[in-house]
Amino acid sequence: MGIDLQLSEEQELIGSTANEFFGKNCPPELVREYETSAADYPAQLWSQMAELGWLGMPFPERHGGLGLATLDMVPLYIELGRHLVPCPVLDAVALAGGLICALGSEEQQKALLPGIARGDAPIVSALMEPDGGYGPGAIQLQAQRSGSEFTLHGTKVLVGCARSASRLLCAARTAAGENGEGISLFLVDPQAPGTSVERTPNIAGHPLYAVTFEKASVPEEALVGELGSAWPILYETMMKAAVLQSAMVVGAGERVLEMTTDYAREREQFGQAIGKYQAVQYLCTDIAMHLHRTRLLTLQAAWHIDSDRSFLREAALAKAAASRAAAAMTFAAHEVHAGVAFVIDYDLQLYTRRAKHWEYNLGDLRYHLDRACTESGL
Amino acid sequence: MVDLCPDDTPELKAWRQEVRDFLEKALPEPWTFWYDYDEDPASWERYLDFWRQVGKKRWTALTWPTEYYGLGRPAIEKWILEEEFVNHDVPTYPVIGMHVAGYLLRHGTHEQRCKHLKGIADATVLWGEGYSEPGAGSDLARLTTKAHRDGDEWVINGQKTLGTAAHFCQWMSVLARTDPDGPRHAGISCFLVPLDAPGIEMLPLDNMADGRQNMTYFDDVRVPADSLLGDENQAWTQIWFGMGGERLDNAGPSLGPHAMRILPLLNRVIRYCRQTTRGGRRLGDDPVVRQQLGELMVGVEALKLQAYELYGIAQSGKASRFGEASMHMHQAVYKEFWPHLAQVCMEIVGPMAQIQGGKWAQLNGDIEHYFRASFGNHAGGTSQLKRMVLATRGLGLPR
Repeated sequence: MGIDLQLSEEQELIGSTANEFFGKNCPPELVREYETSAADYPAQLWSQMAELGWLGMPFPERHGGLGLATLDMVPLYIELGRHLVPCPVLDAVALAGGLICALGSEEQQKALLPGIARGDAPIVSALMEPDGGYGPGAIQLQAQRSGSEFTLHGTKVLVGCARSASRLLCAARTAAGENGEGISLFLVDPQAPGTSVERTPNIAGHPLYAVTFEKASVPEEALVGELGSAWPILYETMMKAAVLQSAMVVGAGERVLEMTTDYAREREQFGQAIGKYQAVQYLCTDIAMHLHRTRLLTLQAAWHIDSDRSFLREAALAKAAASRAAAAMTFAAHEVHAGVAFVIDYDLQLYTRRAKHWEYNLGDLRYHLDRACTESGL
Repeated sequence: MVDLCPDDTPELKAWRQEVRDFLEKALPEPWTFWYDYDEDPASWERYLDFWRQVGKKRWTALTWPTEYYGLGRPAIEKWILEEEFVNHDVPTYPVIGMHVAGYLLRHGTHEQRCKHLKGIADATVLWGEGYSEPGAGSDLARLTTKAHRDGDEWVINGQKTLGTAAHFCQWMSVLARTDPDGPRHAGISCFLVPLDAPGIEMLPLDNMADGRQNMTYFDDVRVPADSLLGDENQAWTQIWFGMGGERLDNAGPSLGPHAMRILPLLNRVIRYCRQTTRGGRRLGDDPVVRQQLGELMVGVEALKLQAYELYGIAQSGKASRFGEASMHMHQAVYKEFWPHLAQVCMEIVGPMAQIQGGKWAQLNGDIEHYFRASFGNHAGGTSQLKRMVLATRGLGLPR
């Protein structure tokens, strides 16, 4: 025991296995294909990941999971980032699955978690709204009770894989309230009457949707957790998922650093490798420094989660660093690559565009810097 | 396996408490004192008195072997002690003495250890640095101070500069060229030199942060043969570069309390923002200030974790992500973050931060002082140098 910031051998093995697997099964061509594919995600890859146990990692064993800790999942998410895997793992497993684990009844867990772990059509989280905020005030989707049903009215945006999802786990407002009171979670069928799903073209090329509810009714069994009191756990689950999102930024950053230093070694201008120029070396070290601090802050936050310590401050610091790094690392990489990476056939831009999505996802820099203050008692 | 809990046994918890209890008694009131940026004699007296109390308990030599005045305790205890010292904002021990102790324990002879370690442990003998020269800063291997053997003695000639607080010191660790014809990195040796030796002259170089550094001249200074520390011509790898060129430490890795001055400083600024009202609202409620503070928290936390990481690597012996350049990355990050932190703290405190002392000063004028001090971030090599080392040795870019 004591002080260590390196993953265990078992955890490293999860990472190297995933790296090898995605290296074979998720090449950049597949990533490109799913930017415009009619399908939201590659079903075969999704099933293979399920077979490897990766879609049930955090769930209890009695519900088809592996009961693993955050630090066990960090290496997998690093590889999801490194290979830009076009599957909704974060949405389905960490967010929807995490919320069902934390708030769902035993029946709901029994009914839903094994399906997620098995790689069935995913349940995805639907949290953001056009307001663009991350806090409870931004949740304005109305859910009004009428008898044994709730009627939904409003719009969710930036919902991943909504068209192919079996259910959306929607955060809605069942009562007015401050500090997150009055927020409830519902499992909603995206094909149900009164629900329209519209793909929104976006910088990442992800299958992100706007989902509009016009008097869509859901039965009260669709409620996950207690009425009106979902926010505290929703917030914690989002913060935990933000740590895994940070791990994805670390993985992407590893690849971006590798591409950039390879290029700086090989590319010659003015009679020498450009990597000899200090201006270029500075840009490369910028990437390394952002990458490394994000990795350390991510590991710290994961350790806090796993050891039942308060983790909200640490998670905010990690995602703040990750959001900053996502932008800074890809910027520096483009500066080094210059013209060649502006060409769409070059892979760097795949990272640059997704990094922007990850910068925003589950809280941007501004949000998490402010949370870091709040969680530090300011 | 990731673990960030240094005191996970009752014994270690008790040790932390023992350190805390000592500090509560020895330094009951908060006291910010930076030995490298302060010339006030009374403060120096109080400072040395404090460290002699620590020395009396041998906590300065906690991890050293018992045959050399140490307590032979495990590295983790030193880590816990340093954490508590940082949390308590303890004025740091003059850093060069601890470096020299590290050199002695690694490369010194039995006689050298017996002669010098006690004074370092007791804080009765202070050590200055004889490294930088007017023509050899970050490129230290350009140094031209020479030493040649004459019978049983070494004769040193040359000039050293930027010797921090060296006028308070009795001894100096001096790097000098002993093989003028060899490769520039392979002809340097390290000498232990008493500053009262004939032929030494020291002139002040006052710096912009209220500290005094020194120019030290060596004119046919004769020291006995056993003043050579480590092997002849091997000082570059044994003494300097082998340990990262800075923040070298004694018998075990260190939290780098010197660098960790940033932690108590940021905590003071956060407290200030909590307590200060400006324009009808708490400074800590100003959204711009919150963004700035959040960013500083990320930076301080990341530096702390980098220190943790280096400790873990040293304990486990496992390779680190950037290999031997990990220390240089840590230093580059610190050297760039320090002036940034100082600047942002000046922005947060605002125009009143200019006032250096007296009843109108904010935070005792310490932020202003810290801002000036931050231009001393070059000590031990500039951030540009550290980045170059990271780029070439850590990232494999061509030299």
